[in-house]
Amino acid sequence: MMGEGTNVDKAASIGNYLNLYFGQEQGIRLGESTVVSRKAHARMPEKRVKGQIKILTNRDAGKKYLDYVDIDQVVHIDVYHRPGQIDPRDIARAIFWQMEQHFIEKDPHLQYAEDERFKMVADYANKIFITTNQGKGVMYELFQNVVKPYQEGEEGWDHVHVLARLNREEYYLVYVIAETVEAVVIESGIKLAKVRNIIHGNQKEERESYAGYIKLPWKNFKGQHAKQMPDKENVNQLILKLAEKFGGVDEIEEFMESYSTNVFKRKGVEQQKKKWGDVEHDIEQLQELGLLKDTPFGKILTKQGLQLKEFVVNHKCELETEIRRNTRKMPGSGGRFKKLGKVDQQSSAVQYTNRNKTKNNSEANWSGDLAVPQTVIQATKNSFMRGDSQLSIKKEDLHYYEKKSYIPIDVCLVVDASGSMAGDKRQAACFLAEHLLLSGKEKVAVVTFQERSSTVVVPFTKNQRILSKGLSTINPAGLTPMADGIETAVNLIKDNRVRNPLMVLITDGIPNIPKWTMDALADGLEAGSHVAQNRIRFICIGVESNRFYLEKLANQANGVLYLVDDLNKDNLINIVRHEKKNMMDSKRNLA
Amino acid sequence: MIPFYKLERYEGNEALFDLVTMSIVSSYVGEPLHLHAEGLRGTGKTTIMRASRQILPNITRIKGCIYNCDPEAPHCPHHRHLDLEQIAALGTEIIPMPFLEISHSTKVGTVAGSIDLSRLTDPAHPEAQLLPGIIPQAHRGIIFIDEINRLADTSPEITDILLDVMGNKPGHLQIEEAGLPVVDIPVNVSIWAASNPDEDPGPLEEIRRQLSDRFDMVCYMGRPDSLDILSNMLQENSHMHRVQKASQTEKVNDAKHEALRQDIIKWGHLYEQTDLPDFLRNYIARLYIKHNLESIRAIEAMQQGAVLHSVIKNRDKVQITDVTYMIPLVLKHRVDGDTLVRMINDTDSRGNKDGILSFRGKKNKPREEEEEYFANNARALKDMHRGELVNTEKTLTPN
Repeated sequence: MMGEGTNVDKAASIGNYLNLYFGQEQGIRLGESTVVSRKAHARMPEKRVKGQIKILTNRDAGKKYLDYVDIDQVVHIDVYHRPGQIDPRDIARAIFWQMEQHFIEKDPHLQYAEDERFKMVADYANKIFITTNQGKGVMYELFQNVVKPYQEGEEGWDHVHVLARLNREEYYLVYVIAETVEAVVIESGIKLAKVRNIIHGNQKEERESYAGYIKLPWKNFKGQHAKQMPDKENVNQLILKLAEKFGGVDEIEEFMESYSTNVFKRKGVEQQKKKWGDVEHDIEQLQELGLLKDTPFGKILTKQGLQLKEFVVNHKCELETEIRRNTRKMPGSGGRFKKLGKVDQQSSAVQYTNRNKTKNNSEANWSGDLAVPQTVIQATKNSFMRGDSQLSIKKEDLHYYEKKSYIPIDVCLVVDASGSMAGDKRQAACFLAEHLLLSGKEKVAVVTFQERSSTVVVPFTKNQRILSKGLSTINPAGLTPMADGIETAVNLIKDNRVRNPLMVLITDGIPNIPKWTMDALADGLEAGSHVAQNRIRFICIGVESNRFYLEKLANQANGVLYLVDDLNKDNLINIVRHEKKNMMDSKRNLA
Repeated sequence: MIPFYKLERYEGNEALFDLVTMSIVSSYVGEPLHLHAEGLRGTGKTTIMRASRQILPNITRIKGCIYNCDPEAPHCPHHRHLDLEQIAALGTEIIPMPFLEISHSTKVGTVAGSIDLSRLTDPAHPEAQLLPGIIPQAHRGIIFIDEINRLADTSPEITDILLDVMGNKPGHLQIEEAGLPVVDIPVNVSIWAASNPDEDPGPLEEIRRQLSDRFDMVCYMGRPDSLDILSNMLQENSHMHRVQKASQTEKVNDAKHEALRQDIIKWGHLYEQTDLPDFLRNYIARLYIKHNLESIRAIEAMQQGAVLHSVIKNRDKVQITDVTYMIPLVLKHRVDGDTLVRMINDTDSRGNKDGILSFRGKKNKPREEEEEYFANNARALKDMHRGELVNTEKTLTPN
């Protein structure tokens, strides 16, 4: 590939090539053992051919490994080696010195500017992250002997995993790094491994295998019968895993019933897919756990599977509690979303008296909810201090009960239930509804729109039963009549006594069924303006590709648009929480 | 009230009985052990905890000391400056180990301490003095808080005090009242709490993560599922049974409880002499590293719990099963379900040969397969021609 007869430095010309290929969203194999790209890398266990590395074009390395928000910030350098232990500190030190060497070669003047040189290298050292099977850390810290432990299952156990935050014009350093890492590997007495081929492709949605570590009482584990093990936790965890996927105990039952011997209750995979998305993974896992088996008539539950089903039915009470507990859990902070627009609407707060806390503020006026016992105590104390001959109550003695206020926000979810939302997106929206209901004091309603019309699947409620029942009826299919959906939600909010309504539109598309005219898009905007007229707080959660239209819609509705890469539950919850917090803060600022 | 020894034990609540006993033993020797029982309505969390008041042993304090000063180690502002002779002159008294409750109408003043009104309004000698609250008064004993999740939600100030009291062993309490000097005392109090995570405002760890971590152990109560147990429970609770048997059985109850009390005192002495063997300490430390646990409190609790558990089982040597028994109790509120299950399965009672303690069979299968993933060795970059350095998918894939 690279020309031989040139006087351009090897590293620099590699840098040029990297610019070229990275620009085309591609990665390369540098030499034989090293794979470089700006994406995540994976092996391909599904292929029989070994030694291939897949470059996951839909997984940016910075985003995946370092939680960066912007893409293309990080160059991912993997140097594969045969089994053996490699100390990340050796790598860090070697790169450090080699870089310094390289800078001197390029610019001999640096030889005399030691501080300058050190600063340059140290700058880079803070931008390079190294993981080997013996530990990990920022290069600068590794250089100073600070190593974080390597954890099983992380990148880096069969390769040296380097992430470098480099600008385009600094790509020449990739060669320096790769060459140095190789040298350290060889010095450690370990052979480099040859990567046979690289392949570009998307990563399939990765779901963890729980069958690997969950142990059921009847499962042989490492050749021993696991009878005496504490299996309760295991069974519980399995149910929780299934609930994460399917939604609740009832749904798990329904899913298991699809594999009963009763023909009428069996459901095909296609039918299941509509509701729950890809179920193959879970079927595989259950098979591995010995709960499902293949028969000539298709898969059915094994004896143990039936036992588990029975367990689920008998322990519904506790299991549901556990599931609800999981639903209440707040996701980790952050979340990847982009916010466009800003609104400031007034919201009304509810005040209540806190009987547990009183305050004594002589500056305030005389009115308030007087806390008599505390006042008398204070007066007695103060009389004593003041040296009064008898008990007297002065203004400074007065204690009042504290007032607390909170802003109730009733949320109406308007969920796109068109065909494209089937599976995980549907589940995420349902989870959001459950989470909001369980973790807050406010009411939740859900409106869905699909085919040609919209339905109120859950009216404003605080009752979890009503909510889950309503949610279980959502079956995504058909087109996207967004205008109708918004209109239904506006009417629902108008007709109910709700406090500080927040309408959350969740969609992965744009309208394609009109309501009043022939133009679906214009009707959507028209419906949006009704939201604004009714002074309903509005947010829209959509995907980047529909940005142009959704931005107009959010503007029209006087609301905010949030764009996400993926409509998953963590993103949804984080956005709604963020928005609720905004509403509370804006109230506080107004007050 | 049903006597403690008669309370029905079944799989779902057995752990709580153990924990309650362990905590009493531990408090008796002066090391608090904080417990939290979580479970659905009516699973007996509160009943068991309140009933254990009947088996509390006695403690000796300086006569009349409301802070429960130990005559051998006085700590309260009144007695800490006194020497042994002066204390001997004051005399001692024997009281039951304190068992107090913090309720929902509680205020900072009643929990920590406030100005003593009766002294202040004494017409003859008005005097400003501190009246210690529930926490200092429960020194060397137990405080029970029902529905702690609601308390944490509505009274953050009290939660803050609890955080201080439960933060270390012994804990620390500062009482401040306008017009009086600040009093700072160590407190040795085991906090017991109960809550239903499914009721408003949700599980404690979502409301105040810090507070939930302060509890050494959390017991998740299960519902009874055997008919025999349920009918026994009903019988114990039936009105007729209670009316008829109450007078006859009182003596029997007292005798049984006295026996339990003696056991607790015996275990207390045993606890003072039992230590965790080094290999188990090592093992606990390894769990911490391997599973990336966040809180050191977790492994401290595991150590304390393992020793106590072996003690109340009348053993003077701690066994690995004592440690594994503690894992779910200590960690369920601290780590997510996946990690917990991994830990339990990693360390279960497969015997020492196969557990984490042995090095045999360390490699699991997938690892071995993966080791062969790369068939050939590669050449190093510096040994290659320029032309060979950059390879793309196109150049690498034949045809």
